[in-house]
Amino acid sequence: MNEHKILIIGGGPAGMETAYQLKKLGLKPVIIERSDKLGGHLAQWDRLFPASDDAEALLEKMREQCIDIEKRLNTRITNITKENNIFHVSLSNGNSYDADAIVLCTGFDLFKAERKQEYGYGIYNNVITNAELEHYFKTHNDERINEPKKIGFVHCVGSRDVKVNNTYCSKVCCATALKQACEIKEEFPDSDVYCFYMDLRMFGKGYEDLYLKAQKDFDIKCVRGRVCEVSENIEGKLVIKAEDTLLGTPMKMTLDLLVLMCGMEKASGIERIQNMLNIKSNADGFIETRDTFYGLNHTKEEGVFVAGACTSPKTLPDTIAEARAAAVEVFNYLKDNGQQTFSLRF
Amino acid sequence: MRPIFDPFVLPFVLGMTFVLLYCIIGMTRIIFQLPKEDRRKFVRSLITPKTLWKDIKELFNDCLFHVKIWKRKPLLGYMHSSIAFGWFMIIILGHMESVAFSPFKDMQLPLMEKMASNLYLPIFFRFFAIEDASLKAQIYCFLMDFFLLMIISGIVIAVVKKKKPKNVGLKRVTKFGIREDLVRISLWTIFPLRFLAEASIAGITGGSFLTEFIGNKLIFGGSYNETLSLILWWLYSIDLAIFMFVLPFTRYMHIPAEALLILLRNAGLKTTEPRKGYAVAEIYSCPSCGLCIDVCPMSEVKDNYKNTAVYFIRNIRKRKRRRDVKNMTEKCLMCGKCIEVCPLGIESLDIKMAQRAKTYYKIKSDFSYLESCKDTESQSRQDEKSLKTVYFAGCMSHLTPKITRSMKSIFEAAKENYEFIDADGSICCGRPMMLTGKVKEAKTLIAKNTELIKKSGANRLVLSCPICYKVFKEEYQLDGIEILHHTQYINELIETERLNIDRSDKRYAYHDPCELGRAFGVYDEPRNIIDNIGLLTQGKSDKDMSVCCGGSIGSLTITLEERDEITKNSLKDITVNKPDEIVTACPLCLKTFARLSPINVKDIAEIVNENINVS
Repeated sequence: MNEHKILIIGGGPAGMETAYQLKKLGLKPVIIERSDKLGGHLAQWDRLFPASDDAEALLEKMREQCIDIEKRLNTRITNITKENNIFHVSLSNGNSYDADAIVLCTGFDLFKAERKQEYGYGIYNNVITNAELEHYFKTHNDERINEPKKIGFVHCVGSRDVKVNNTYCSKVCCATALKQACEIKEEFPDSDVYCFYMDLRMFGKGYEDLYLKAQKDFDIKCVRGRVCEVSENIEGKLVIKAEDTLLGTPMKMTLDLLVLMCGMEKASGIERIQNMLNIKSNADGFIETRDTFYGLNHTKEEGVFVAGACTSPKTLPDTIAEARAAAVEVFNYLKDNGQQTFSLRF
Repeated sequence: MRPIFDPFVLPFVLGMTFVLLYCIIGMTRIIFQLPKEDRRKFVRSLITPKTLWKDIKELFNDCLFHVKIWKRKPLLGYMHSSIAFGWFMIIILGHMESVAFSPFKDMQLPLMEKMASNLYLPIFFRFFAIEDASLKAQIYCFLMDFFLLMIISGIVIAVVKKKKPKNVGLKRVTKFGIREDLVRISLWTIFPLRFLAEASIAGITGGSFLTEFIGNKLIFGGSYNETLSLILWWLYSIDLAIFMFVLPFTRYMHIPAEALLILLRNAGLKTTEPRKGYAVAEIYSCPSCGLCIDVCPMSEVKDNYKNTAVYFIRNIRKRKRRRDVKNMTEKCLMCGKCIEVCPLGIESLDIKMAQRAKTYYKIKSDFSYLESCKDTESQSRQDEKSLKTVYFAGCMSHLTPKITRSMKSIFEAAKENYEFIDADGSICCGRPMMLTGKVKEAKTLIAKNTELIKKSGANRLVLSCPICYKVFKEEYQLDGIEILHHTQYINELIETERLNIDRSDKRYAYHDPCELGRAFGVYDEPRNIIDNIGLLTQGKSDKDMSVCCGGSIGSLTITLEERDEITKNSLKDITVNKPDEIVTACPLCLKTFARLSPINVKDIAEIVNENINVS
């Protein structure tokens, strides 16, 4: 007979932390990850806001905690059926599991910047995304970033924008933009750095300090107004048009580099799993939770839990907190229902 | 011997006099409301043989035969032309008959009486004259019966249409009030009553297959009852009188108004004032048929059908105040589909534009920047005098840099000596200002652009945006400079083999932008281009029936949710034959579709650029 487990779908920070906490609670989590390593988007990042902490160090710590945990990398879910509160899960590698509970930690996709054609990503050479800049910080290998003198950051790309059907705030881009602005200024001290924002939502611990530091210590110029149009001049430099809505004047500026702060969108392919589990999405595409206060780790399907950015955009501290909460919720659920896993173990 | 007068003719004579006076006064008012220049044009058109011939042709085709309705909905076409043409023939033949066989011909009547009798005699001829035994008289009788039957058959269809619009291919029809019901019922009963009245007396005065043989023999048993017959003639006359007294205040005013509209239109006039002159002729010409309701893209959203052209015109006609028609005026997408299907071709968009011009919008326009817009390249241009083509991308194309990119590489591949005149940012073409009725402001922009384009010395202007194209074609005075949309330009490059294209077996659907297709009939060029690149799939409603993408800048008030419904509906139409990609030729359509389309949407310049044969 198969040993009953708790299946964690997605091996990013949410999945790793949930698995680690469940293990500590004495249960048997299994992480199913479609890529070849754990870490999710965190693995692409160099440093983390607000204090530019090393992303690699955090990732290493989280991975270490997961060493003893059963994982299935390069694996996708092919089918899930539910019978008497037990999930029968088949995997792409031919294995199958019987699970007492499932935790969805499927995270998010970065908004595809090509969809905002007016910013010229994929058309003009010197337009890059936040993820690409982070990759540059990590590797210092990007020929587009070549001693830029004037750099612009566009906030809210694909967030709070009805024109791409995303009306929500992605929560992390404001702080990321200021962090990256400071970092690039550090790298190229002679450059001028501009941030074009709608609102600066510096809500978290230490974020406001980051904002002040960026202005005071790094001379980052924050302009309230959206960039409306990007074009390229004969020398291959970017000409942007924007409006400074505080001064009420249109502006035109020539830049060497434009960084698009792509927001979060629902993970692609997640509908497939949602259909298997009969779980709905909200209008914004993210997974629906049982309610908005007390059931944030629950879905409307008994035994299916959620953690992290699969239900809405979240910062890393939020994700980790939610992952821990999910572990407790799973524990309580199994205990209350007298599930097999639980009776075996205790 | 029949009497030469009977009091039953009086209601008709009064009604006829009233309606004639009303129409003459109305017509005079309209003509005097026209601006002086327009009035002169109108008079000139009436003495120019060419326009006069056009007038006559259109009066027959449109007023009597309703050719335009025949083309779209044959059954409705038959309904209209049987009633209109049949009635017309009855009037003409009735007059000819009454002249030929007038019972008063040999009488010595005072002039006044003779004139008065000529007013009612053709209408009630069968009552006053006994049929001649000659063949000529019999032919007249037959023809009169024939056209009467034709009209009655049309009325049968009209009754069916009223009961079940679906039977004649309409989803929704216009809703009417009591007055319209009254006039409709009076119209429907005129000819059955005429038939009964004529049949009742046919035994004495004669008739043909319908009145004498079917009517008199079958209904009245071949006998003649004087009282019954007289009652029927009274009813017939009263019914005519009701119709004529109510006509000026109902949709049937379109019968006389259409004739005037045709003359004014052929004189080249256009609406300048929303409630005066030409617009009045258009408003009264609207038959409230409601063909525009089903095709209006806004009707996708429930309740929005109330904003369609027919209701807008009705409210203007009712002299509703500006604020009562404000929403209808501002919500319209200006896609022009209502005009396309309108059997009378009423340019309701012009009326809406003129109405918008009357509304004060709190827009502060600051054109001080125009001063600083320098002609940056004029210096370098002096060296190369042979500049032929300028490219004006427009603001929307600047937001879709894939289009401008593609155009640049197409120009280069065709080795065109061109200049990207607004590479550094455009001055708006003026169309958005025109659409908000701010004509003066629009003209300021138009003047600046005209100056810049003329200075370039080019003789050809290529545009990427149909919104610009419309205003450039209609408002700009660029004498000597050919204005082309890039679909036309690229098509020419392909046809003259200046551009070689690789063919693939990709399936493309083409969406006609309103301001390129319906506005200027540019349908073949883009299709020809796509034929050279891959396979063109048919949409559900193509060309002049293409559905607005929903993004139109024509509407000032429509909500995003309403726009989305229109976009989804339009996408459904386009993708009905499962294309691989959607192609359009307007940056605004492109952006609008891209939001909601399940498949790739591209501009035609992009797919051309992707398939240029470089070898």
